[in-house]
Amino acid sequence: MPNKNGSVYGLTILSPIIDDEKATPSHDLQIRNYLAHLSTREESPFAQAPGTHLARLVVMDDVIYVGAPACEEHLKSKYLIFESNCDGDLDSYLSGLATSIPDHLDAVWNHCVGYPGAANRQAFLDYMKACQLDTTFFFAAVNDKSVTETLRALQTQSAVADFIASHQGVDSATLQREFLEFVAHLKALPPPRPGSMGPHRDIKTGGRNE
Amino acid sequence: MSNINGKVYAMNAVTPMKTWKTWILRTIFFVLGHIKPLQRDLIDLSFIEFARWVIVPRNGFPFMKNGQRQEDLKYDYLLFFSNFNGTWNQYIDAFSAVLSKGLNLIWRWSEKFPGSVPVTIFKEYIARVQFDTDYYYTAYPHATANDVKSAHIVQSSLDSLSLVAERCTPEQFADAYLRFVMQVQTHLGETGEAPIAG
Repeated sequence: MPNKNGSVYGLTILSPIIDDEKATPSHDLQIRNYLAHLSTREESPFAQAPGTHLARLVVMDDVIYVGAPACEEHLKSKYLIFESNCDGDLDSYLSGLATSIPDHLDAVWNHCVGYPGAANRQAFLDYMKACQLDTTFFFAAVNDKSVTETLRALQTQSAVADFIASHQGVDSATLQREFLEFVAHLKALPPPRPGSMGPHRDIKTGGRNE
Repeated sequence: MSNINGKVYAMNAVTPMKTWKTWILRTIFFVLGHIKPLQRDLIDLSFIEFARWVIVPRNGFPFMKNGQRQEDLKYDYLLFFSNFNGTWNQYIDAFSAVLSKGLNLIWRWSEKFPGSVPVTIFKEYIARVQFDTDYYYTAYPHATANDVKSAHIVQSSLDSLSLVAERCTPEQFADAYLRFVMQVQTHLGETGEAPIAG
């Protein structure tokens, strides 16, 4: 199935945004404004819900006219694109979002046509699936590891580098004993929180053509 | 708006395609999906974490009624979403240099696609069909695709050594440990803050 690559699911959802000329500011702008103030680190809604490797939310204003001799045409609705690269099957993932971050989902998708709210679980799942587009081709560099496994592996990688550096020239018996202690300590550590690795950046960079 | 989070860049692009060409592209993707060696260049580029192409038929945009006006389009649309490490220019340059045949095979069915070589015209086209990301999240912002691959190799090697570590004599362990260090030594690069690229 093109939506899956190994154990990773490539979810693509396009939800039509309400077009109401009386709304001030417009619904698409309200979505953008809300998203602009959301954390992208460990406080992110996607860090609080299980199973998201990478995800994006994009307001698609229109299709793009590439110039003559192509025909110029326009969308009648703006669409909210939700692109997620996540663990597991679709129902579990969407249910995890609805359970963990219903307020965030409602704050964003309440501006979309026909959104039933996250509280009504079955209606929420039905709505999201109705807005889903099948992925035609999905590539994943690592396709057999969960988010937790990856975070733990990154933690291990860093700890192993430190262990090796600090145990050069150590005698065999000490090396074995301290290696076993090291492994036990590493196993007891909780994995890093999603979105939390490294220091915060005060300056947010971004934009086209960087 | 931010297309960047840590070491990952989110690219979105949309291009129009005549409906009869869509089926050719679907066939190409089908073959690409089922013959893994054809994905070799994509894998070798090694700075793409996830990427996807989605063909939206001209009557395939979600229609939820409730006052939504139904789309009336002449073209099908090809959506492209990529999560890659490095800068926009590095990405497009590498794509053009390494994957030019593959890119042409995928996008030549889109209107006005100029080809991926020469790269200047190609960049102009990508800049035109790209649109920005409003919100971008990654669970591991300071790791690249290569960091993730390496980390899993280290984890796997460590797990294997851990299994035998208790049963060895100190001398046997020292030998096994040396082999472990040789296995993982090229996979221990430090993750962390991305350099600011201008």
